[in-house]
Amino acid sequence: MRGMMMSENQTFTEKFDLLGCIQCGRCTGGCPVTARSNLNIRRFVYDAYHEEALEELARLAEIWDCTACHTCAVRCPKGLKPLEVLIGLRTMVIESGKTQPTVRDALESVFREGNPWEKARATRCDWMEGLEVKIAQPDTAVENLFFVCCTIAYDPRVQVIAKNLVRLLNAAGVDYGFIDDGESCCGSEVYTLGEDGLFEMIVEDNTEFLNEFQAARIVTLSPHCFTTYNRHYPDLNKPVIHYTQLLAELLDQGRLTWEGGLEKKIVFHDPCYLGKQGGIYDEPRRVLQEIKGAKLLEFGRARERSLCCEGGGGKMWVETESKKERLAETRIKDAKALGAEIVAVACPFCLLTLEDAVKSLGFEEEMRVAEIMELLGELGGGN
Amino acid sequence: MKTFVCIKYVPDTSEAVVKINAGGTAVDSSRFSFDINDADNYAVEEAVLIKEKCGGTVTVLSIGPKESEVMIRMALAKGCDDAIRIEDERIALYDPLMVAKTLAGAIKGQEFDLVLTGCMASDDGQMATGVALAEYLGVPHAAMVKKVEMLDGKVKVQRELEGGLMEVLELELPAVLTIQTGINEPRYAPIRGIRAAQKKELKLVNLDDLGLAASEVDSSASKIVLEKLYIPEVASTAEVIEGSDADEKAEKLASILVKGGLV
Repeated sequence: MRGMMMSENQTFTEKFDLLGCIQCGRCTGGCPVTARSNLNIRRFVYDAYHEEALEELARLAEIWDCTACHTCAVRCPKGLKPLEVLIGLRTMVIESGKTQPTVRDALESVFREGNPWEKARATRCDWMEGLEVKIAQPDTAVENLFFVCCTIAYDPRVQVIAKNLVRLLNAAGVDYGFIDDGESCCGSEVYTLGEDGLFEMIVEDNTEFLNEFQAARIVTLSPHCFTTYNRHYPDLNKPVIHYTQLLAELLDQGRLTWEGGLEKKIVFHDPCYLGKQGGIYDEPRRVLQEIKGAKLLEFGRARERSLCCEGGGGKMWVETESKKERLAETRIKDAKALGAEIVAVACPFCLLTLEDAVKSLGFEEEMRVAEIMELLGELGGGN
Repeated sequence: MKTFVCIKYVPDTSEAVVKINAGGTAVDSSRFSFDINDADNYAVEEAVLIKEKCGGTVTVLSIGPKESEVMIRMALAKGCDDAIRIEDERIALYDPLMVAKTLAGAIKGQEFDLVLTGCMASDDGQMATGVALAEYLGVPHAAMVKKVEMLDGKVKVQRELEGGLMEVLELELPAVLTIQTGINEPRYAPIRGIRAAQKKELKLVNLDDLGLAASEVDSSASKIVLEKLYIPEVASTAEVIEGSDADEKAEKLASILVKGGLV
């Protein structure tokens, strides 16, 4: 397996700057997954220095427990990204071919159909049925080019994000275009699952594809696409923003108003890929504050201290063996203790994991989880 | 050890809306995703496992369109050595005997020890190609194989029968085995492996290259006529059980099941 890792003329130690680590342990101290897993990220950074130990490390189940929330990277005083050591170990497993069937199927699906959900490419835009969606053409200039995300395009529970956004954009007269079924996975989960080769190919293909469009900027619906484009696509020729940034902008311009309100106590859960990794904290709150009657609460662990929902890092396809309480359940209990009636999110993965937690805890009567676009769609009166 | 593994590129129709083409004898596949037939994927893995254990080479054999080369490259990335893709619109693909005769035409004249196929194709479900292939090659076969053990000049296999029964057979080589799903856990073909496999030979041939006359494998040779495909009308026999509470509904449901002799 190691031969693969050495193929880029860099040792593991060099690639992940392991000698830069001072073993202070802030990474492990901050890692939310330690609450339910044996994962000790500091220890991995230490052990990975011994190249002969890499194969053994790659066989440990806990390398798949990391959710790629980036807390370790945010807290590292030396500016290292400890989680990437785990991704490097995952790469060794992936390149040996002996990976979990669920991971194998998701990666093969991205390769063949451009999405990890084993859905046909030709059905990617089926969510648009019955809606007036403007489709972007590469040769026609458009201000906002929308990138939907595989999960939002295919999962019936979260398609509402895209549907309500289209209605809002049409009503507000925004200059926009959505991509047709030529849109392919941004590779966020491919990267964190460690499929280096496939990720490289995706970055190359998507850069070429997206650069063809004459758009002022790309607007993503998922924070995962947002962060992936901003961090891993150096040759993209246009800026990438998250849709909550666009909404905040439209509010500032007075282009968004709603007749209805929502007399509810709402707490916003910062998605790791939007907050910790993207630095976007205020815009989603700005949007929620505009909802008449809503009372906005704050988690004790908010903004860069937000607790991960365990939806990222490829965890949609790898189940953690631990039977201890899921972080999403911890989060929902925190929300209940606050007296929140709605946990608002701005990420399809957070929506799915937190909603599952509400169900498994039996809190459906008292509270619900909703994506911001879902709430805006319920305000009625439209714009 | 020289192994051939025969694979098929099939549409995933599990979730898609299936529409019949105007001619009535083909399905509109424009909205389907295509992939290696599930059982064939296990056959590829088994062929590679045998090669890893006993040495030798594995040749992938497939009848299919240009698009199916992705599937073939993935098999090559997993450890198969070379591949032959047969493309010829004259073959009566709806008839497994014609398919088997074509595959046999590509294998005959070459030395081989084993031919593996999936036990069934998920699109037409005939379960006949592998067995017919053994007949055309004049070698023994075992179908629905769940375990393979290579012996000297022989292969010992376990076949899955109904009711969880297993049958153990010993076959003289060369032989054809049709592989049942679950025999192993197919590996992942990493993209770097697929790229590296671009260097492996993938030969494209037609019936003329194989020295087969079209009249041996076309619709005139087939004793089957594909009349039509159709989607059965949905009969409206669903009944919504009404009731004031779960107990009442459960009672009604139970009485329906009892009356119908279902419990």
